[in-house]
Amino acid sequence: MDYSTFLNNDPLLRAGLTAAAVIFVDLCALVILIAASRERRHGDRRWAQESRGLMLVCGDTAYPLGAAEIVIGRHPSADIRFRDSEISRFHAILTLSGGSWQIEDLSGNGVTVNGKRIEAPCILRRNDVIGIGRRKLTVMRGKKG
Amino acid sequence: MAKQTAPADNAPQLDVSAPRSMRTAGRLTSVLIAAFLVGLFYLAYVLVSRSKFYMSKTGSTGYGTVYDRAGDVLFDGTKAMSSYPAGQFADVGNFIGDASGQMSNTLVSRNLSALANYNFLYGKEQGKVSLRTTLSHQVNKAVHWKLGKKNGTVIACNWKTGELLCCVSKPNFDPARGYENLASLPEGSLLCKAFYPIVPGSTQKVSTLAAAYEKLGAEVVNRLQFSCTGTWLNAKRQAIKCHEEKGHGTETLSQAFRNSCNPYFAQLIQSKELPLSSVIDTYTRMGYSVNGSKADTMTLDGITIAPASTKLTDANDFDTQWGCLGQGSTLVSPYQLMLWECAIANGTGTAQKPYLISSRTDVDGRYTPVHSAGKTGSFFSADTAKAIQAVMTENAKTQYSASLGKYKCGVKSGTAQVEQNGKAYENSLLTGFCLDDRCPVAFCVVIEERVSGELSTAQLTKTLLDALSGIS
Amino acid sequence: MKKSLSHPFLLLLILIAHAVMLLLVIMRFGITPEAVQLSGAVLLFDFIGFIFLQFVHREACTVDSVLLLVLGMSTIYQSCFGGLTFAKKHFIFAVSAFLICQFTYLLVRNPYRAEKLKPLWYLMFFVLVGAIFFLTGSRGIWIDLGFITLQPSEFVKPVFVLICASSIRTQLHKKTVLGFHYVPDNLALLICTAVIAGLQWYCRDLGSLPTFAAVAGCGLLLRFRYLREKISLRLVIFLCLCAAGAAVAAWQLAPAYVQERLHSDIWSDMSGSGYQQVKALTAIAEGGWFGKGAGNGTLINVAASRTDIVFSAICEEWGLFTGLMTVILVLFLPASLLTVPPRSYYHSGLAVGVAAVFMVQMTLNVFGSCNLIPFTGVTIPFISQGGSSMLSSGILAGFLKAAQAPVLTGGNSAGEAEGGR
Repeated sequence: MDYSTFLNNDPLLRAGLTAAAVIFVDLCALVILIAASRERRHGDRRWAQESRGLMLVCGDTAYPLGAAEIVIGRHPSADIRFRDSEISRFHAILTLSGGSWQIEDLSGNGVTVNGKRIEAPCILRRNDVIGIGRRKLTVMRGKKG
Repeated sequence: MAKQTAPADNAPQLDVSAPRSMRTAGRLTSVLIAAFLVGLFYLAYVLVSRSKFYMSKTGSTGYGTVYDRAGDVLFDGTKAMSSYPAGQFADVGNFIGDASGQMSNTLVSRNLSALANYNFLYGKEQGKVSLRTTLSHQVNKAVHWKLGKKNGTVIACNWKTGELLCCVSKPNFDPARGYENLASLPEGSLLCKAFYPIVPGSTQKVSTLAAAYEKLGAEVVNRLQFSCTGTWLNAKRQAIKCHEEKGHGTETLSQAFRNSCNPYFAQLIQSKELPLSSVIDTYTRMGYSVNGSKADTMTLDGITIAPASTKLTDANDFDTQWGCLGQGSTLVSPYQLMLWECAIANGTGTAQKPYLISSRTDVDGRYTPVHSAGKTGSFFSADTAKAIQAVMTENAKTQYSASLGKYKCGVKSGTAQVEQNGKAYENSLLTGFCLDDRCPVAFCVVIEERVSGELSTAQLTKTLLDALSGIS
Repeated sequence: MKKSLSHPFLLLLILIAHAVMLLLVIMRFGITPEAVQLSGAVLLFDFIGFIFLQFVHREACTVDSVLLLVLGMSTIYQSCFGGLTFAKKHFIFAVSAFLICQFTYLLVRNPYRAEKLKPLWYLMFFVLVGAIFFLTGSRGIWIDLGFITLQPSEFVKPVFVLICASSIRTQLHKKTVLGFHYVPDNLALLICTAVIAGLQWYCRDLGSLPTFAAVAGCGLLLRFRYLREKISLRLVIFLCLCAAGAAVAAWQLAPAYVQERLHSDIWSDMSGSGYQQVKALTAIAEGGWFGKGAGNGTLINVAASRTDIVFSAICEEWGLFTGLMTVILVLFLPASLLTVPPRSYYHSGLAVGVAAVFMVQMTLNVFGSCNLIPFTGVTIPFISQGGSSMLSSGILAGFLKAAQAPVLTGGNSAGEAEGGR
């Protein structure tokens, strides 16, 4: 079975088939895009699982823990920012590792967990209260929507 | 992971959005991607818009077809030229040309990009490019055949519309035969002589007459009389000889024109009434490069035609007088001679610019007709044009009634003495127009190295007009 | 990935797209052994990839599906240039790249662990640099192992990306020497950049210098960005001036052969230095929108048609549409970063580094071969022929995957399940 001459002598057919191939590849690209947008939701779910669904609550404000490293401080680039004068620019860092969150004092200006000042990285559990300056942050599990 | 314990009352809605700092990576990447995409689309644009240029560098571009006015093929880039009947292109080879690049001043060579049968969608050879020309292949063949073994050139156009109808130059070259024997081809085979300046001989007297009419007016000039005794000595005691050894005696302008009397016209140039500056003036308007002044190169659908040139320094000098008689340093292309005849035939002093391409079909099959190439500048006044027309018509009536009697013509003959490669010979010229509605054409006919008794320019012109009145 | 139908559907569609392309090949060449081998290999790869992604490993499917699609397409392209010959070697490397992507993912999916291994990355970096410096022939860039020739400079890229990425904790770790504050990690990066630049200069392999410069630039930019809300205008101007100064200096000081490339006009030297580009451009023009058809290309006779001017080779046979589509598909890999943001600083550094490598390589290759910028001999990831390039691109894709689906359980001394307490 040899279609070679058939295909080579009909440029229109060749163009049409090439176009068909391109269209299928395009279709793939489109579906990849759709899949990617679903993956964003999947990524969020996945992260909720990885991060134990925890958030920090300070008064009425809830702070998401959306990355494996969360810096608390006065500096504009801090993820959780308090403009209090007694809080250092990079005061403390929350890290997610080994399946649990821990907090570390970066500045030496003092971080308390449940009222006790921490000296070394301290693993956080639900309903722990972190004290930074005069701020009190409660570790809470977010309600799943 | 599901925990059974009920969340505290004040538990917030779960939010896992990534902090701002994590989005930096995304932003940076999107900037990179956006820049790349912009570049990519620009690239696509460049590639598509320059693809014709790229193709021209491959040397394998396919070209379209050139047709004559009746649809006969003059050039075919889509298949081998040798597949056509022998002699199909023999009369138009050095005029229409081919895509080989061997003949640069031809229609095909000058319109290669318009003929390139390529576009980005269809690829190399799927286009529908063609050019329709005003040329009549039938007339061309007839004239070419009539020239027989003689060399020469014939060019004719419709003076009403500017359509170029016939153009032959011998020796010719048949592109279908290929270029293997290039060295053995006769000299001048690869160019169309109608577009290159030659010695005009007495056809130059038309220009000189135009200069006189422009300065003095027809009535005065027509009454001027000079005598010819065969040889006339000018102010510098240099001899101007007449072809009639015994001389023509005292003549009027009309008689002198008919007799093509050199002494008469030399005396006209030398006369005080006609200052040389006014001759230079008229010549310049007509498109001559006088004494090296700049004159515009003419084009015919891309084919270039060098302007006429002459040297006029002193009205009393032999060289200047000889130049005004069409010898010496005066050179005019047959194309330009024909162009002036157009301006005379229509009686306005301004010609319709000749054109060759009557319609273009592009690669997608879009058809664009061409109706005119516009007008030339004014060569001389309408009065002058009408006066010259009268003199030339009179000339044709009295001198050429035998051959051209059935046409209402105006003509001027010329014999150009040429010396080339140490060999002196005479070229016979005839330039003029036909006023008949059957064939309103202006023409210039040149037969090289003509000796008495052979085919005459008038006979060739009759062939031309006969063929033309059949088609138009 | 729960209840999502799009995943199997997508994989099915990839299979169909490959099948249509293969159909085109078979219609052109008939059912020859080569065609059967090619179709079998590509479709089998798709099928096994499908099974693997559907039932074994379902994380970061965007990267994997783009990889499957692109690798299959590139195998078909490479097999068809100038006539049908199943590109076995290319196919094996394509499969290896897919596998190595998964392995790399496993290795770096935990950002802490990946960063803890940084001394190892530095070690690998210097081993590779040393290998290039000592092992490759006189200023050549290849190591011949007999059965396979390796291009160590390709493998420097992923290692360099690993070095460029940095976590915020590392960035906050400052040292002071003589009153001068510095971050050791940044200093190390600068040293590595200088080393690689010096090596490229020594090797006369300036083509890949922009890639490294872009990775280092992006890495440094991210590092500055993390600790500042706004980059001050002064810093931007300063950085721009530095970059411009470096560019001008490089332009002026570049060796003669580079100068020649920068200033040559390819159309005036069509048979000399401009030969490849002239052929590449005319091939694109001859191909048009829909190409001459698979296997009908003539570019195969030009040097580097499968690598440096592969874009033109694809355009000639498959058309400019397909060529552009292919390039854009490869672009989907770094673009996946836009849908799922990274969740750690180290991973975002990796992802941006990979994006920089891919973008710069494609820019240099595609625009260089089309004469918009000076022509350099770099490859398009996953499309160009070349084992080293394929494998290192696979490693880079693994980094992207890791950034999309990080794993933070385990690998840490303090690792304990929350419910355990």
